[in-house]
Amino acid sequence: MNKLLAGVSAGVLALVAGNAALAQDLPGKFDGVTIDAKLIGGQQYENLYSRIAEWEAATGAKVNVISKKNHFDLDKEIKSDIAVGAVNWCVGSNHSSFAPQYPGIYTDLNALLPADEIGAYVDANIAASTLDGKLVLLPRAQFDVSAMYYQKSLYADEDNKARFKEAYGYDLTPPDTLQQWSDQAKFFSNPPDFYGTQYAGKEEAINGRFYEILRAEGGEYLDADGRPAFNSEAGVRALSWFVDLYNAKAVPAGTTNYLWDDLGQGFASGTIALNLDWPGWAGFFNDPGASKVAGDVGVVAPPKGSSGARTGWSGHHGFSVTENCANKDAAASLVWFLTNEDSQKLEAAAGPLPTRDAVWEWVISEAEGDAYRQEVLKAFQEAANGAYPVPQSPSWIEISNAVYPKLQAAILGDMTAQEALDEAAAEATEILEDAGEL
Amino acid sequence: MRGWKPAPHVLLLLPAFIVLAAVVVVPLLLSLYSSFTPFRLTRPDSIYTFIGFRNYERILTDKDFWIAFGRTVLLLTFALNLEMVLGLVLALLVEKATRGQRILRTIMMFPMMFSPVLVGFQFKFMFNDNIGIVNNALQSLGLTDQAIPWLIDGQLAFIAILVAEIWSSTAVFAIFILAGLMAMPREPLEAAKVDGCTPLQSFRYVTWPFVMPFAFIAMTIRSLDIARAYDIVKIMTDGGPAGRTEILWTMIARTAYSDARMGLANAMSYIAILLSILFTAMFFRQLAKARQQIGAEW
Repeated sequence: MNKLLAGVSAGVLALVAGNAALAQDLPGKFDGVTIDAKLIGGQQYENLYSRIAEWEAATGAKVNVISKKNHFDLDKEIKSDIAVGAVNWCVGSNHSSFAPQYPGIYTDLNALLPADEIGAYVDANIAASTLDGKLVLLPRAQFDVSAMYYQKSLYADEDNKARFKEAYGYDLTPPDTLQQWSDQAKFFSNPPDFYGTQYAGKEEAINGRFYEILRAEGGEYLDADGRPAFNSEAGVRALSWFVDLYNAKAVPAGTTNYLWDDLGQGFASGTIALNLDWPGWAGFFNDPGASKVAGDVGVVAPPKGSSGARTGWSGHHGFSVTENCANKDAAASLVWFLTNEDSQKLEAAAGPLPTRDAVWEWVISEAEGDAYRQEVLKAFQEAANGAYPVPQSPSWIEISNAVYPKLQAAILGDMTAQEALDEAAAEATEILEDAGEL
Repeated sequence: MRGWKPAPHVLLLLPAFIVLAAVVVVPLLLSLYSSFTPFRLTRPDSIYTFIGFRNYERILTDKDFWIAFGRTVLLLTFALNLEMVLGLVLALLVEKATRGQRILRTIMMFPMMFSPVLVGFQFKFMFNDNIGIVNNALQSLGLTDQAIPWLIDGQLAFIAILVAEIWSSTAVFAIFILAGLMAMPREPLEAAKVDGCTPLQSFRYVTWPFVMPFAFIAMTIRSLDIARAYDIVKIMTDGGPAGRTEILWTMIARTAYSDARMGLANAMSYIAILLSILFTAMFFRQLAKARQQIGAEW
């Protein structure tokens, strides 16, 4: 139904605008047009940009890449552009977690692209790219959701199985619930040589993990009115889950200072049993040259909380077209081209997860004969089904910055979970009030 | 009509003044003005809302800000003193070398060639409690059977950051002091020897007063560097966990860009600048005193 409505509104807007490209027109002809673009840079993102030349050849337009930076620097640059009124470029890299921060600068792609093209993307990704009914970014094949990596040999060990059953009363199999994850992490831990699990305890990372465990526990971060609601019973349960693992020494003592690179290196060093992590690490963990656990890595879907829902904090990269762009059709065509089936295949072939239904089918069929890759894809596809973005508030990052030190303080024992969440909720409320969102 | 004709020297200096005004004075005034507004990068219009001293009031009554301020002063004090002592030792050792001094000088400068971001990553992994080389070495040597949480415990994290800062910048002191040692006339030292001074006395009463001005110049430069210390701390702990290693610039950068609250961040910066001015003024006073003592003409 939503798709239908989107299609109808796209059609109406296309008629009004009178300049929307039609499906058969894509990528279209734009001789003499130059599109200024600000793109995310970095080794894993660069391969796709080789296709820009193909788009130029097909359309007769030119792409002028005026900035290429990592996402955090690009974020600063875009905010500076907004501040000084210099959003005079057309196409920008964007991310579902950052998009709500740039209110009004990006145009609605529903009005520029045919509905059946937009329908070819995974619905959940399109929903996460839509803010206040405006499709502000088109997802590329850089989709992130976490799944559970584990050391297979630990679960095959007969002695482990027997001891675990005796201690916890159920069979030792890779965790399917938060409770099992916690039990097994404690069971496997033998500090300082070996730890049951770990979590990224820093910056937006810990807030994101808290957010998804909160949801799996049946809580909500912001309520229907946009008011912070995470200091609920479910919130305390979620935060206590982190605190409990920390106190039990089932996670490394430094975990509150870990970011993704620390987690990746930690699991690859063979000193961690269970690791909820992103798809980008799958190849690295199983590479004998880089990882001590290569050949011993298993992957299952992320665990369920007491509500029955799995954790599913997700994000994806994409491209947006600015409202100020003089050639929106050409810009939309470029954005479509960089996220079309061929582009997504090119990116997904290197490991990142796609955001188009057809490309999901393609990557799974490509993995035929590679048992590990198939296991990885199966786990992540299941994770993707229950995936959701961060709350779509322009103040999300600012709230995150206020909340994460409190979560850390609770984990490190400086305050109780309830105190930490109450203080965090008070600060988050103040931020939302200052921003005029409440 | 005879209009006003400026003097030639005013005319000649005018371009320099214009450039200075454009790149220094105007941005400074603009940022000062914005510190009296609730300016948010994502809401450009907010720069026109004047809120008086509200940002400053907010900061001055914010406990977290003052803790970060105090920690920055502490970091400055420890880092500068330790760097000076180590730099002095290094310079004295290198100066004693009779062969290969040039190679030693080059090697000594290696850490300065690394970008602070790289140094931050390097030390973050070295001090990682689980896979870091520091804990692994301590455990292998049997000195501990614990995973020491270097970057978690407030004091240990402070030490870890201090070590990274000192590793990357002690060479600045060493180079300045070495320059002083090399420029020093030999006669006073020889006279001291003839008068029967012990090596320690020669150092205390002859060498040290002479190299002191060089050390103070290095201190002034480094104090500004450390007062702006950002990269290493950002990478190693980003002020965390739970604000245990927060210093002024990690706090200001987060407020300015991540939170997009540029007005508030500018107000913080203006208070932070006072700290830099204070340290610089202090070192310049010491420098003048030291120069007077050795009767320097420069």
